Amino acid sequence: MPTITIDGKELTVEKGKTIIQAADEAGIDIPRYCYHPGLSIVGQCRICLVEVEKMPKLQVACYTPVMDGMVVHTQSERARKGRKDVLEFLLVNHPIDCPVCDQAGECFLQDYYMKFGLYDSKMLEDKNKKSKAVPIGKHIVLDSERCILCTRCIRFCDEVSKTNELGIFHRGDHAELLPYPGKTVDNPYSVNVVDICPVGALTEKDFRFRTRVWYLDETNSVCTGCSTGCNIEVHTNKKREYKNEGRRVTRLKPRFNKDVNEYWICDEGRYSFTYVDAADRLGVVMKRVKGELQESTWAEVMPEVLTALQSAKENNKRIAVLGSPKMTNEDLFALKKFASQTLGVSQMPVTVLPKEKPFSDDFLIREDKNPNTKGAGYLGYDTDHKATRKLLDDCASGGVELLIIFHHDLEAGFETELVKSALSGAKTVVFVGSNANTTSARATYILPSCTYVEKEGTFTNFAGRVQKINRAIEPLGDSLPEWTIIRNLSRKIGKALAYFEAEDVFKDLTKNTAAFSGMSYSAIGDGGLVAEENGKLKQGDAKAAAQKTETATA
Amino acid sequence: MADFIVGAVEYLSKFIFFIIAVLVISPVLTWVERKQSAVMQDRIGANRAEILGLRMLGLFHALADSLKLFTKEYFVPKGADRLIFHLAPCISIFFAVMGFAVIPHADTLIISGQPVEMQIVNLNIGLLYFFAVLGMAVYGVVLGAWASNNNYALLGGLRASAQMISYEVSIGISLVGIILVYQSVDLMEITRAQGDLLFGFLPKWGIFLQPLAFFIFMAAGIAETKRIPFDAPEGESEIVGYFIEYSGMGFGMYFLTDFLETILIACLTVTFFLGGWQAPFIDGWILQTFSDSTFLGIFQLNNFILTIVQFLAFVFKVCLVIFMMMTIRWTLPRFRYDQIMNLGWKMLLPLSLFNIVVTAIIVYFIG
Amino acid sequence: MNVHDKYKPLTWWEKTYLPAIISGVLLTFGHFRRNMVNHIKKAIGMKPKVSGAVTFQYPEVRRPFWPRLRTLHRLVRREDGSPRCVGCMMCETVCPAHCIYIVAEERPENQIEKQPRIFDIDLGKCIFCGYCVEACPEDAIRMDTGIVEISAYTRNDMMIRRDQLLSLEPKKEYYTERPDLEGKPVL
Repeated sequence: MPTITIDGKELTVEKGKTIIQAADEAGIDIPRYCYHPGLSIVGQCRICLVEVEKMPKLQVACYTPVMDGMVVHTQSERARKGRKDVLEFLLVNHPIDCPVCDQAGECFLQDYYMKFGLYDSKMLEDKNKKSKAVPIGKHIVLDSERCILCTRCIRFCDEVSKTNELGIFHRGDHAELLPYPGKTVDNPYSVNVVDICPVGALTEKDFRFRTRVWYLDETNSVCTGCSTGCNIEVHTNKKREYKNEGRRVTRLKPRFNKDVNEYWICDEGRYSFTYVDAADRLGVVMKRVKGELQESTWAEVMPEVLTALQSAKENNKRIAVLGSPKMTNEDLFALKKFASQTLGVSQMPVTVLPKEKPFSDDFLIREDKNPNTKGAGYLGYDTDHKATRKLLDDCASGGVELLIIFHHDLEAGFETELVKSALSGAKTVVFVGSNANTTSARATYILPSCTYVEKEGTFTNFAGRVQKINRAIEPLGDSLPEWTIIRNLSRKIGKALAYFEAEDVFKDLTKNTAAFSGMSYSAIGDGGLVAEENGKLKQGDAKAAAQKTETATA
Repeated sequence: MADFIVGAVEYLSKFIFFIIAVLVISPVLTWVERKQSAVMQDRIGANRAEILGLRMLGLFHALADSLKLFTKEYFVPKGADRLIFHLAPCISIFFAVMGFAVIPHADTLIISGQPVEMQIVNLNIGLLYFFAVLGMAVYGVVLGAWASNNNYALLGGLRASAQMISYEVSIGISLVGIILVYQSVDLMEITRAQGDLLFGFLPKWGIFLQPLAFFIFMAAGIAETKRIPFDAPEGESEIVGYFIEYSGMGFGMYFLTDFLETILIACLTVTFFLGGWQAPFIDGWILQTFSDSTFLGIFQLNNFILTIVQFLAFVFKVCLVIFMMMTIRWTLPRFRYDQIMNLGWKMLLPLSLFNIVVTAIIVYFIG
Repeated sequence: MNVHDKYKPLTWWEKTYLPAIISGVLLTFGHFRRNMVNHIKKAIGMKPKVSGAVTFQYPEVRRPFWPRLRTLHRLVRREDGSPRCVGCMMCETVCPAHCIYIVAEERPENQIEKQPRIFDIDLGKCIFCGYCVEACPEDAIRMDTGIVEISAYTRNDMMIRRDQLLSLEPKKEYYTERPDLEGKPVL
């Protein structure tokens, strides 16, 4: 274990690490373009120059392994001068079209230029013209002029997605980043190259010219595209609502979590937020009057739903509930508690498998496209597809008086005939969901619920990791979180659930479910905790959880 | 019967002449005020209203203003006492107009051998009548403020009533000196008494016999009109006042009342302190120069000319006082409320009492 | 010096306010006399040394604008008539009144890429601080149209749109070359 000194700070670093890694661990910022912790090291851009004592020349911090007794100066006059010169070279052919560049505001060139740029250019020659705004894939636009040839994107395609689409062509100041002839960057993880591009060379088509990054608000959340539960940041457009064509969620960015997704996210998950502001989004309470669905209000519909529940209960008719693995642990727990305690429902299926097997791989994309199937299993739901079929069969045969369905589009997993007969078999169908579909079109009542960016809660991913989602935007229209809808129902019928926030539900949940025992929102934090079916937290996680709780309470 | 008809015609013609004069003069006064203030402040003043390209130095602004006020929506706020809300501006303007009834405009005019008093009503208690009318004026303000159902209006009304009542005391007591000196409460008599000369060259005007009372009366009179510098009850753009809820002609009437009161105070000042209709030094000359032959069939020539000269003298003096009042209005900043009260109770009232005592002693020993 | 010395208690004579009133009335009356004489002189055809009023007869006679005066905004055009603005939203960001509304779009020409599709300024909100002009990296927005009469019957009409902004021209003749208050009035 070599001991080195960076800017007067003595550090003991693992052997084989480079200076920049040691500095990152110590919280010392060294500028970088080509270095990315998730990729191999190439030492391409030279901006990370630091002065190492007893070495005659400046060294690149990213590629110089630490040695015992090394004394590094990151802020010395020579180091700054070196970086300034490197930056001057990088900007020789840069078009400086920051006004039109979408990267402006989160651009490393801008940041470092403000720190140690050469403010007066010495260049008299014309800049090289290269291709601008070239679409090189379904989601990506390339601007070669802005490129500083750091090769992060090339290494991503080689090492992470392993699709090898990109390369550098030509020589000298004509060198240019391009896809190989005949190839486009269309791999399932392609947009990650936009995230890791330190400048504005690679930009996202979907985000292009929509807004400026400094108008965006960031909220930590979890991707709901599949059961992997990649950590994300939700970027919302709340400050300038007229932009972005009414879309409140502007984009999703991956958030580092070494146990789940590291730095990456798949394209499918990245664009999985579109339903939040889609045209089919349910924002108003609806009820069926004379065969037509009509807009209504909570005040009008809730008593009617309650009456239907009450009469079904009093007449000893069966009430069936079909939950959804798209709901949070809190929603599922509240539903389970309400259904079993008050409605007397014991069998609660959640799963509707699509007819065709969806794409999956062994990296981040999973076959199960629901974020919380594992959590539903922990909470005592039946996660078997066949259980849902049995329920629908019961409905079709007229055995069910009242059916409550959450979110599901039943036709996606079952034959249209079966769904039709099942939904017409039940006297009352209550649909709770965020978006309209074929099932909601046949429901008696539609109760709008929030999407995951509009509420708080937790999801349990395929590996049992419980991760927290946070509210990024206000609920649309009349929509409410599912647990709130269930809570409101429970106030008038049976035993009232005393929940006021999602955290109240979670506290109740941890008390009553073995897999979640010992957890709390503050302990889950941004990284998540792994739930175990035997009711024990992993050793390391428990310690971390205890520490986090301590700091939170302190 | 004939006497009654003659009397009725006399009163009616005086009344109509007077009403028209007052209602025409008040809008014109707004023009005068604007122009005077403009000239004082190196501006040109209102000059934009025009009829067929004719601008007449902005005289049409008075017309435009009245038209605007007449055609504006008369808005009654929610919860207002409608009857009193409508009545209050009328009360306000009514008592302002009533005050003019006892103002003498000239000496007796002889028509067909019959003496006609140039005064709408020849009351022998004119001064007391004036006090009574002045005392009622506060009702229009307070009722309007209260009926508006607006707290700010009510507070403005309270300020107004406090101010008006305070200064009425000083006005009343300052005029006691006049009564002592001229030995009468009939305004015609008081005016006539001012026709004599003092020491052979100084007219026996109130301002010379009662200089202190003159200042007190002027100050209190300006305060009574609720105009700058005494406009704490209602300060145009700065202070929400008692007629905040009035629009259209309701506001117009309060506005008119302000100007009518200005004229009234000016008339009274002239009557009490500036010799009223007296035109000193030339009245005797006119009587001597012109014969007493018949003129236009019904008039006596020298008496007719003298009446006209006296009337013009009266109007001239009133204009002069109004000019002075407006100069003061456009010169001084607003008094604070406590300053208003201090001035009223701690300066003017003791001074006017002191004035009575001194006057009484002098009158006792000399008169 | 004690600050309270400024507020010395008034003497009895001053408390009557008469000295202050008299001196004030003398001042204002002096102005009245001087101006009135000048007005009358002018009316009867004599030429007074100074005018009776210092004001301008505004709609007919305009006081010349200082070159630095900020008037209604305009968007600068390129030679082909398209906006010079590239929709960078700097003005929108810096605007303290939040009165600029920009939505950008793709520009057909590849070297510039971006232009505003919507560029609205809510003149009802604008405080004419000129920050947008300062912030613009393309010199695409200027405040030199010489238009100062801005009024409308509805709030929506106070919104000035992209094409209106593009159609405005600078009004050089309204501005004076010398920033000189005594400059001659221009028509």
